Amino acid sequence: MATTAPAMKTKKMSMHEALNQALREELSRDEKVVILGEEVGLYNGVHYVTRGLYQEFGKDRVIDTPISEESFVGVGVGMAIMGFRPVVEMMRMDFSLRAMDQIYNHMAKIHYMSGGHLKVPMVLRGPEGPGPNPGLTAQHGQQLTALFAHCPGLRVVTPATQHDAKGMLKAAIRSDDPVVFLEPGPLNNKQGEVGEGEYLVPLDRADTKREGGDITLIGYGASVALCLQAARELEHDGLSAAVIDMRCLRPLDMQPALASVAKTGRALIVEYAWQSYGPGAEIVARLMQDAFWDLDAPVGRVSGKETPLPYAANLEELSKPQLDEIVAKAKEIAAA
Amino acid sequence: MSTTSESIPTPAAARPGRSSAQWKRMLRMMITIREFEHLGEQEFRNGLIRGYYHSYAGQEAVGVGMLEALDPSHDYIVDHYRDHGHCLAMGIDAEQVFAELFGRRTGVSKGKGGSMHMYSPDKHFLGGDGIVGGGISVAAGVGMALKRMPGKGLCVCFFGDGALDTGTFHESLNLASLWDLPVVFVCINNQYSMGTSLQRHSSLSQLVDRASGYGMPTEQIDGQDVGAVYSASERIFAAVRERQRPCFIEALTYRYQGHGIHDKPLNYRTTEEEEPWRRRDPIRLLSEKLIEERQMTPAQIEKMRQEVTAELEAKAERARQAPAPEARELFDDVMI
Ligand SMILES: Cc1ncc(C[n+]2csc(CCOP(=O)(O)OP(=O)(O)O)c2C)c(N)n1
Ligand SMILES: [Mg+2]
Repeated sequence: MATTAPAMKTKKMSMHEALNQALREELSRDEKVVILGEEVGLYNGVHYVTRGLYQEFGKDRVIDTPISEESFVGVGVGMAIMGFRPVVEMMRMDFSLRAMDQIYNHMAKIHYMSGGHLKVPMVLRGPEGPGPNPGLTAQHGQQLTALFAHCPGLRVVTPATQHDAKGMLKAAIRSDDPVVFLEPGPLNNKQGEVGEGEYLVPLDRADTKREGGDITLIGYGASVALCLQAARELEHDGLSAAVIDMRCLRPLDMQPALASVAKTGRALIVEYAWQSYGPGAEIVARLMQDAFWDLDAPVGRVSGKETPLPYAANLEELSKPQLDEIVAKAKEIAAA
Repeated sequence: MSTTSESIPTPAAARPGRSSAQWKRMLRMMITIREFEHLGEQEFRNGLIRGYYHSYAGQEAVGVGMLEALDPSHDYIVDHYRDHGHCLAMGIDAEQVFAELFGRRTGVSKGKGGSMHMYSPDKHFLGGDGIVGGGISVAAGVGMALKRMPGKGLCVCFFGDGALDTGTFHESLNLASLWDLPVVFVCINNQYSMGTSLQRHSSLSQLVDRASGYGMPTEQIDGQDVGAVYSASERIFAAVRERQRPCFIEALTYRYQGHGIHDKPLNYRTTEEEEPWRRRDPIRLLSEKLIEERQMTPAQIEKMRQEVTAELEAKAERARQAPAPEARELFDDVMI
């Protein structure tokens, strides 16, 4: 059953507005919550996620930083071990590469290294992948999901809907674990229904978006929408496709995917990320381990092409997973 | 000039005066850059250019004066993302720069890089880097190489005031000084790191002071006056070549447009603030000087501008007509 269909009153808004609501509500609820990042305050956030918060909560809660990613992520870690709940924005997730020492060696490890004495209740968030606008090119539109999902000690999530974006960010801020919250760049400006007021979406549950009997399409982040589109196309060919949103990548919740594959016997993973060693590779490995006897065909994958993000419009488009590729691959698997 | 352990003296013998041809060449190049950016921004609005567009308008004297003093057969440039003007001043054909911006295979980076990632080893232009501060250590590496090569070449590294906030800036200056590298580190202080003013991102207001702890000469120059930039560069480059030691220059200037094309600068600065900078517009300052010295008449300058514009429009048109990369080129140059 789909768990996200909100039974509450909803309102249509963009993902950045949904994230903004989450931040506003958590800043109001808990004075330990602070925001740090480049242009998050006076400038209102390059992708609008922090819009209006500086004016509402002031410069001591919404803190503009210089271009010092390694150090302001470290400041987040330091505040977190002292009991604050910093939400640290990466203007683009690509820039987190500058901060990887703090993320991998400190944010992810202090809880364990201290024998559990210290907690690091911080959130590292920002947009990744080729969007919202086109032409981001090689150093600004990368999808680095795998780097974070690889690292024990981090909780890694990525919402695929506006509703989840709000509920998961609120849950991430309240989590006592360090959370890497990956916002799918292509969805930043996309509109969808969002629950009004207080609700949380758990950080360890994948979500069944659509039931189906012939094949299971598995995506996360921006690729979930592609899976849903493909599922609608496949209907014309008389194929019934299930769609699973893997939104929680570490820990990885395989339950809905396994349950679906038990019915369909076939699976196709769709992701914007590079294929080799990525989340899709891990999902395939889990299916091999835990669903081998349910599978009637090899698991397929459609991913971002393994190139840096090119600039030319035609090449950029080709570098992304294509709807027709997904549909063709799904038919091939279904026929196998 | 502020100094630390070393200083670069002005030679006692008066420098030979600039030739009229040289002044006119510099004026023409500054006008070329200004008009190029104007056309480029138009093409962005027409949808031909996508992603990022960082205009160099207002800052022309820095690049033009400095690169006029280079030894083009031995010296190299490592640049940041605000790179169109520096490309032109290094002698890269405007048609190739337009073609890159239009995502054509005839572009300097074959349409793979876009606005921030121009590369032309032939013209000794080594990028075009989208990561703030990303080029500074690369420039030190180029300096390491040049030191081991004949010809006493040096590397000029351009970056903004915001780059001083990165760790790599400080690490690289230390390395360059420790290892006696022929690198000129040029901070183009245009008073803003995106929407964050100098006072809000830098602990010291004089950026030369933030570079003065590494045992290399530092110098603040007037980045609006192309003659001043040229004279200082000529003197400093000679000393760097001669001593095989690095140097840090802070060029004071101002960008007219937003940080990028989507940015609205009046959200964070005022027209009153802009006005004195525009009064000292680099093209205007040089034009006035040449008119006053009767080297050019206003009509001749206007004619020059019209010629430049016509030439650029023709080049832009040829770039427009050039082909996009072919689909199979997507995977070219991922690896050798
Ligand atoms: C490591 C990193 N962090 C953040 C950014 C986003 N960003 C791009 S330019 C910029 C401002 C840089 O200002 P400055 O260095 O003064 O150069 P200017 O744009 O003024 O020429 C920021 C924050 C980036 N590209 N790289
Ligand atoms: Mg600047």
